[in-house]
Amino acid sequence: MNSRINALVIAVALFFCSPLIRIGHAQQAQTETQAVQVIGLAGLKENTKGRLTVVNGTLRFVHAKGNADVTAASIEDVVTGKDSQRVIGGTLGTVASLAAPFGSGSALPLFRKKLDTLTIQYRDASGGLHGAIFTMPRGKADALKNELVAQGARTSVLTLADLKKILADSREEKR
Amino acid sequence: MRTNSRNALAVFVLLTLCFAGQLRAEAKQPPKMKASAVEVKMIPSDELTLPPEFQASLYENLIEQLRKKAVFPRVYRDGDRNAGNTADLITLECTVVKFKKGNETLREVTTIAGATSMTLRCEFTDKDGNSLLVRDITGKVRFFGSSLKATYDFAKKAAKVADENFSSGAARS
Repeated sequence: MNSRINALVIAVALFFCSPLIRIGHAQQAQTETQAVQVIGLAGLKENTKGRLTVVNGTLRFVHAKGNADVTAASIEDVVTGKDSQRVIGGTLGTVASLAAPFGSGSALPLFRKKLDTLTIQYRDASGGLHGAIFTMPRGKADALKNELVAQGARTSVLTLADLKKILADSREEKR
Repeated sequence: MRTNSRNALAVFVLLTLCFAGQLRAEAKQPPKMKASAVEVKMIPSDELTLPPEFQASLYENLIEQLRKKAVFPRVYRDGDRNAGNTADLITLECTVVKFKKGNETLREVTTIAGATSMTLRCEFTDKDGNSLLVRDITGKVRFFGSSLKATYDFAKKAAKVADENFSSGAARS
């Protein structure tokens, strides 16, 4: 009797926990971040805003007018970098910096936010080489790069995981 | 009467000088080389350390500006298999000669320092690898705008050079 109750309790607990487990897996499978496509994706204007994610071996850029996909296997190089961007930018920022009294406007460009950049080089169906640049909030580019490399993209700059592995291997060799 | 004839003479002399200058300028311009397609090679970054975002931006802007100028009916990307079928294909290879990354914040605050500039040697070659034209082209951004705008400036100048020296049509013999 007791074993039946225990089995029932476990079954009910598993039933309620299963959606949470699924969500956990989904989050592990993909990294999604807001991004700006600076240049390079076919058919997209410069500085298009959207969301960047890696799904089923594909780098997907979701924007207001649709999706742009690049398969990880076609990526010949993926590199991350650091950059910065004016917080008060565009025409408003320029006008404000020119109009501010006593030359105080020149201090406006100092208000900047840090950005990560992700640069990829990939081949299209006819073998043509493309270069694309994305900017995204700080700390997001490395995760995307690692995911792309794990799904078949190549890189000319080693990832942190690769470096750790090389270090570990060299230590083992010394022993 | 005398004034009228003097005015007419002055106008005639001016017009003659203008036309003579124009004719001399036209005579100096070499004939344009003919090519119906160009293959743009990716800018190598090994000789001078060129950040990857500059490398990609230079390449993409160059392709975009060449397409906009419409000097060549077809502009192929590096490695495009369709380029091999074109008879009078020329290749454009650019290598970085000088690169100064600059600093956008410094540029906007001081307006005299922090300029981004880059000089690339652009070489147009024919299918047999013979050099057709070599030019050093500089791209700059001095006051406003992100450092990557220097790549746009370079690409516009490179497309202008192509426009001045090439035209579409049958291949040069």
